[in-house]
Amino acid sequence: MKERAYRVIANVMNVPAESIDDNSSPDTIEEWDSIKHMNLILALEQEFSIQFEDEQIADMLSAELVIETLKELGIQ
Amino acid sequence: MNMTPTYSEIQETLNSADFEGLPSLNISVLRTVMLESIEPYVRYQALQMGHNASVQFGEYDNIFQEAVGGRLDLLNPKTDVVLVFMGLESLSWELSRNFASMTPQAVGDEVNRIQEYMETVLAGIRRQTSGMIIWHGLETPLYPALGIVDSQVETGQLATISKLNAHLRAALASTPNSFFLNMDFCRADVGSRNFYDLRYWHIGRAPYTLEGVSAIAFEQAKFIRPLKGKNKKCLVLDCDNTIWGGIIGEDGLNGIKLAKTHPGSSFFEFQQEVVNLYNRGIIIALCSKNNEADVWEVFEKHPDMVLKKEHIATAQINWQDKAANLRQIALDLNIGLDSLVFMDDSDFEVNLVREQLPEVEAVHMPKKTPVLYRDILAGGGWFDTLTFSVEDRNRGAMYRAEAGRKELKAQATDMASYYQSLEMVIQTERANEFSIPRISQQTQKTNQFNLTTRRYSEADIADLAASDTSEVLFLSLKDKFGDSGIVGTCILHFKDNEAIFDSFLLSCRVLGRNVENVFITQALQVAKDRGCTRAIGEYFATPKNAQVDSFYALQGFEELSADGSGADKRFAYDLGQSLPEPPDFFESITFI
Repeated sequence: MKERAYRVIANVMNVPAESIDDNSSPDTIEEWDSIKHMNLILALEQEFSIQFEDEQIADMLSAELVIETLKELGIQ
Repeated sequence: MNMTPTYSEIQETLNSADFEGLPSLNISVLRTVMLESIEPYVRYQALQMGHNASVQFGEYDNIFQEAVGGRLDLLNPKTDVVLVFMGLESLSWELSRNFASMTPQAVGDEVNRIQEYMETVLAGIRRQTSGMIIWHGLETPLYPALGIVDSQVETGQLATISKLNAHLRAALASTPNSFFLNMDFCRADVGSRNFYDLRYWHIGRAPYTLEGVSAIAFEQAKFIRPLKGKNKKCLVLDCDNTIWGGIIGEDGLNGIKLAKTHPGSSFFEFQQEVVNLYNRGIIIALCSKNNEADVWEVFEKHPDMVLKKEHIATAQINWQDKAANLRQIALDLNIGLDSLVFMDDSDFEVNLVREQLPEVEAVHMPKKTPVLYRDILAGGGWFDTLTFSVEDRNRGAMYRAEAGRKELKAQATDMASYYQSLEMVIQTERANEFSIPRISQQTQKTNQFNLTTRRYSEADIADLAASDTSEVLFLSLKDKFGDSGIVGTCILHFKDNEAIFDSFLLSCRVLGRNVENVFITQALQVAKDRGCTRAIGEYFATPKNAQVDSFYALQGFEELSADGSGADKRFAYDLGQSLPEPPDFFESITFI
């Protein structure tokens, strides 16, 4: 799951997949702005066939938090 | 049907695609909502057509300033397409969300205000760019203001929005290169629950899901494809398990599935959709591995065949590989491989074609679910054109006429009586303002019966026609099956008592009817009348025009030794001799 999520982050931000780690966030990836964040959320939902709550969306501001939220939604 | 991959997959494709050398496509988006997520879908659709699209967004809810005030980096002469998203919520909160409170008078005033506003914006965009405008129409509300009453009355919210859309459609129709995109189609295709994302509507005024923007980009592509000449012109069909269920060679005429009732009805409805395309001017062809006689027996004898032999422009029914057969079909019809859509239920054949002829749109038909066949064809959008003219409607008839000629040819006992039975009427004229576009187009498009393959623009042809030292002649042909229009072009240069054939070309669909003999004699007569003593014909070889390398020799020209002109062969005709009489099987031959 982690690998899949990282790949989606890398594709949406258009950066190499190897460059993504738990600490990746809008602070470390220049391309990760508010519009890209929205696209990332939508792409993750499509990838894992899930729906985030609107409050989760605003909070998921790092790769680590993305993974945690996915786990909360039962994605292994 | 929109078969677009997921957002992440598309991003991956775009991130790794080689855009080097692809023509650009400049797309600007004017919008009252956030829809940045549409960008990769728009670029992906463009990439499918072989274009490198760049998408530039106007500021959020800033349409009026950009369209009317002007914004050169967004709207300029290089803009190919302008996408306009003007949502009713931002145009009029009252009409969209507070409708029940409004008096009919207030509704009328608001409608007038919005109509004027939209017209001003449209005119403003058009002032800045001549690029294609695709205006996304207003969406019908899911929950109309007056509930079920809304659908009953002419003063309801639904009727009001439909009136605004009708007005917008008319304004677009009277503005060149401007089109109305029906958003309700996109929404219906994916379903409203999959189309709207209420979370992002509230978080960031972004109303659509990824599925939603994907459907919108898919619909836009139907407009952009014909804008760039990438719309498909010919549908090539496999037979077994494509136009009927089962295998004719094994199941027999009574065993194949084709009927008005299940399970044959899937194929019956699919065939009806093929015939609809035929009536929209799309060429229909067959490419199947069968015994040819078996296939035609179904066409002639099966009572539920909607598709008839007369709809089929050309067929390759044999056991050779389908890539070779598709090449032959393109050649027979004189169209490019990139104009073909090929449908087959065999994975093997579809993959072979995708590999060997990537320019062909090869569509795999899911044999186990033929119920989907009709929608796959009707929903593809490959064949959409921006206009629908009388000529489009007749195109099918034109190809059918060609099939009729072939049939007559098979029946006629000798060629002369066949030609006679065609009742061919030839008319040759000098180029005039009405014929110049078609003449230019013919020099651009004709590859096979073309002695020199010189390409000329309309301006070139106009110059040549006006010149004292040259003549531009064109030949039109009609027969009992129909009017073929302008099918031949000849350009002569005159120098020192010599007439030089600069260009001599004929459309492939009229070959084999002796038209070329009549045309060259008419051209020689023109040279003779001007007092020329000799005519010179040249042949420049290309990969496609081998069939005419001895054309001049067959017309009684003497071959000369090559000079430094670059021509592969040169020929001369002595105009001192009397010219041959035309064959007597033409109904009439006139020269104006």
